[in-house]
Amino acid sequence: MTNQESGAGNFSIVPQADPVPAPDVETRLKELVLDSKDVAGFLTDLALIAAARLSSPGNRIHCGVTVMRRKRPEAVASNDAAARALDELQNGYKDGPCLTALRNRTTLLVPDLAAERRWAHYTKAAQENGVSSILAVPLDLAGEAEAVMNLYSGCSNGFTDEDISTAEAFASQAATSLRLVLRIAQLSEARNDMAVAMQSRTVIDMAIGAIMAENRCSRDTAFKILTKASSTRNIKLRDVAATVIASISGENQIDTYFDE
Amino acid sequence: MYPYGADGPEGSDFAAEVRRGTAERFRKTDLPLAKLWTYYYGLGGGIDEMSLDAYLHEALDIPSGQVALIAMAMTELIEGETL
Repeated sequence: MTNQESGAGNFSIVPQADPVPAPDVETRLKELVLDSKDVAGFLTDLALIAAARLSSPGNRIHCGVTVMRRKRPEAVASNDAAARALDELQNGYKDGPCLTALRNRTTLLVPDLAAERRWAHYTKAAQENGVSSILAVPLDLAGEAEAVMNLYSGCSNGFTDEDISTAEAFASQAATSLRLVLRIAQLSEARNDMAVAMQSRTVIDMAIGAIMAENRCSRDTAFKILTKASSTRNIKLRDVAATVIASISGENQIDTYFDE
Repeated sequence: MYPYGADGPEGSDFAAEVRRGTAERFRKTDLPLAKLWTYYYGLGGGIDEMSLDAYLHEALDIPSGQVALIAMAMTELIEGETL
């Protein structure tokens, strides 16, 4: 019995020593996709995992994620305030290693900021914040969105070749999960927009009917009356419609049954 | 496709002008088409998403009432965003 136990113990040590931790990350990412409430929450978890994996005693790594939103870079997630500040700093300058990596869709390493000649303003500001090396790894999202994982170290040459391949492997796994998260988010946003539209349309249609009855006019004319009232008073069409209904019947709450 | 001359040249010129303006505004706002269509539908809009897409690419004429609703949907969506 004891022999067997020690045998099993020895056996389980072998895969742990194996330098391929991929299945572990894969499972973790799947859980994150299911647990995340929104895209920003998911990206924050990604940043936390990346920073924890690449940090070593004496070389703490900060991780931020920048996403292109409406053609503008936005710092959406980070493992700590320092990373977020650095991302925002770079987005403020509209240029830097991470934005360059994002544009070129390739990993970019700045081994020593003191020796870097590009992005002069940003590198100076980043150095003042205690950063010495930067690794930027873009996430390949197959054209659905653009995102880059930004890693900052306080040490010059803070990223080894092994760190770079670890970061790249993680980024490619994370990208697949992120695409799923984005798709789920888009679908639920579309669903919410549709539910809002159904509510609004009911109120507006009802008001149109009321105006038609009061003015003995066509639907088109009723629509024109309503839209004119909306634009001259600068009130949303839906709110004008609600006022019309309230003035007739005193009802303030018009609900649409919408099956979830 | 273009009913030029149907309402007399002045009428269609005006419609084309409005259409061009709306299309340009849509390009500038960077709003996703599906989002605009859903909002426009919520205002009581009566054309489908593909026709809206065609209109915004200046490839289809639609009734003037619908044009006004599309313009209103864009305005309300943009105002909602900047708040």
